Amino acid sequence: MIQQVLIVDDEPPARERLRRLVGELGNIEVLAEAGTGEQAVRLAGELHPDVVLLDVRMPGMSGLEAARHMALLPEPPAVVFTTAYDSYAIEAFDAQAVGYLLKPIRAEKLAAALRRAARLAGKQLAGLAASDPQHAARTHVAARLGDQVRLIPVPEIYYFGADQKYTTVRHQGGSDLIEDSLRTLEEEFAAQFVRVHRNALASINRLAAIERDAQGQYHVILRDINERLAVSRRLAGELRDRFRL
Amino acid sequence: MAGRATSNARSLNLPDFCAARAVLAVVLIVTLTAIVLAVARQSSGLSFWLDLARSSLFLLWAGMGSAAALCLLRARLARLSLPAASALALGSVLVVIASVSLGVLWLGSSALLGPRASNLLLPVAPQSFFAASLGIGAIVGALALRYFYVTGEWRRNVELQARARVRALQARIRPHFLFNSMNTIAALTRTDPARAEEAVEDLADLFRANLNEKRSSITLKEELEVARIYQRIEQLRLGERLHVVWDVADLPMRALVPGLLMQPLLENAIYHGIEPRPGGGVVTVSGSLDGDIIDLTVRNPLPEAGEAAHAGNRVALDNIRERMDLIYPGRSSVEANRIGDEYLVRLRFPRLEDTERSLSL
Repeated sequence: MIQQVLIVDDEPPARERLRRLVGELGNIEVLAEAGTGEQAVRLAGELHPDVVLLDVRMPGMSGLEAARHMALLPEPPAVVFTTAYDSYAIEAFDAQAVGYLLKPIRAEKLAAALRRAARLAGKQLAGLAASDPQHAARTHVAARLGDQVRLIPVPEIYYFGADQKYTTVRHQGGSDLIEDSLRTLEEEFAAQFVRVHRNALASINRLAAIERDAQGQYHVILRDINERLAVSRRLAGELRDRFRL
Repeated sequence: MAGRATSNARSLNLPDFCAARAVLAVVLIVTLTAIVLAVARQSSGLSFWLDLARSSLFLLWAGMGSAAALCLLRARLARLSLPAASALALGSVLVVIASVSLGVLWLGSSALLGPRASNLLLPVAPQSFFAASLGIGAIVGALALRYFYVTGEWRRNVELQARARVRALQARIRPHFLFNSMNTIAALTRTDPARAEEAVEDLADLFRANLNEKRSSITLKEELEVARIYQRIEQLRLGERLHVVWDVADLPMRALVPGLLMQPLLENAIYHGIEPRPGGGVVTVSGSLDGDIIDLTVRNPLPEAGEAAHAGNRVALDNIRERMDLIYPGRSSVEANRIGDEYLVRLRFPRLEDTERSLSL
């Protein structure tokens, strides 16, 4: 069977070389190349590659983050990371037994990695995410949309709301359901979002004012959208002091 | 600073007594000793100022003579072991003091000065005067030598540490850069062998500049060339995403600068300012001459909000600041500021041009 590969690297010469190496192996087809993490997640959803050769360090979305988003696909591809030198990442790859290749990549190592390439398990992904101090917070959150993954840039998000089992993301493009819990989101995006209620995290940049209605219930008003979020009494005072609302 | 490069750890490390600086220190020590002696002897019926003048006159001769002796013995002292050199130095000081004392006694016994001056200026009991001056000379001389030795050691330690730091930091090139460049070259060997060849040559030049320990001061022209080589290699990798604007035509190209002054700044600007931005950006290197002060500025855009920034940009900057401080003490400045959506590093240092190429580190 022919293995189908997606090549992801932000540097054109690096992609070019990988394409050539893969081409020389035989029995392997390069489906496409991507220059960014976002593009890679989209192409992985559309083309269903068997393996993604994924550069760890890219501007914007890192390879580690792209792998996390790809894992939400109904049939996630196997992932082999490529890196020139990232001591943190390499330590994590070894710890999680994840396949990786060091640049400049040797043809025989590439062949071996493609033979052994495996899908990443949730535990491995969590281990990788925790290993990277520079990219602690993702640049996007991902929502399943049919057999695709929809990426929502974090700066475009107004708030996260919890609704029994699911978490809702309200963003510039509308509203989506995601699988992350409010508690993990609060931890991950502590710099950008703040807890306003047991069931909501609001974008700090968009906090406009806090109001109290006739029933004594507090609400926070968010910039740019005509929606108000309930604020718990306990947090109202804290928010006022911290953001001078 | 430069002169003592050859002295090893276990030799008597004294200042150069042929130079004005050390002689001034000797004069100071001698004068203070004279004041101590005069203050201590106030009861002897002689006026304080006259006593001070008398002691100073004697001690200045002894001090200047000792400095002259140490100046003449300098080469020999440097070759001896620490104990032998200490003994020789102290011995020569004592010989000088003994000679000056004998001179004083001779002057007193001759009728050169006349009885009145002779009574006022010269000691009465020759044996006790001779013993006292040798005793005081031995103590003050030993203390002074010890002082010069300890200060010299201390200064040398500071220099050694600084030099070691500079060397350790100079040898650093980001491993990420090295492996990425290798990868680019591996790709180019097939697609564009001529450019691959150029890239290997550029990388070799860059490493040569990085490994260079001896010639630590180079001309500004050479330093800018190293930075341009760095840019060429990064350009292969980053392509359209990297633009560097060079506005350096007004700089005095023959001015001497410490090696690897510009290249790390450019490296930082690309690493922190361009690499994290998907769309890339422009790095501006500008330079001007402000009187006799060279002003170099490197500007880069900041990663946009929400983009992961690379951590740790202080090391290179601290290193440059330290080196500049050692080479141009108190006459240089390194500023790093965030201005609007740009990051700006500005170096200011005096223009030095020297045919012998000798900045001190």
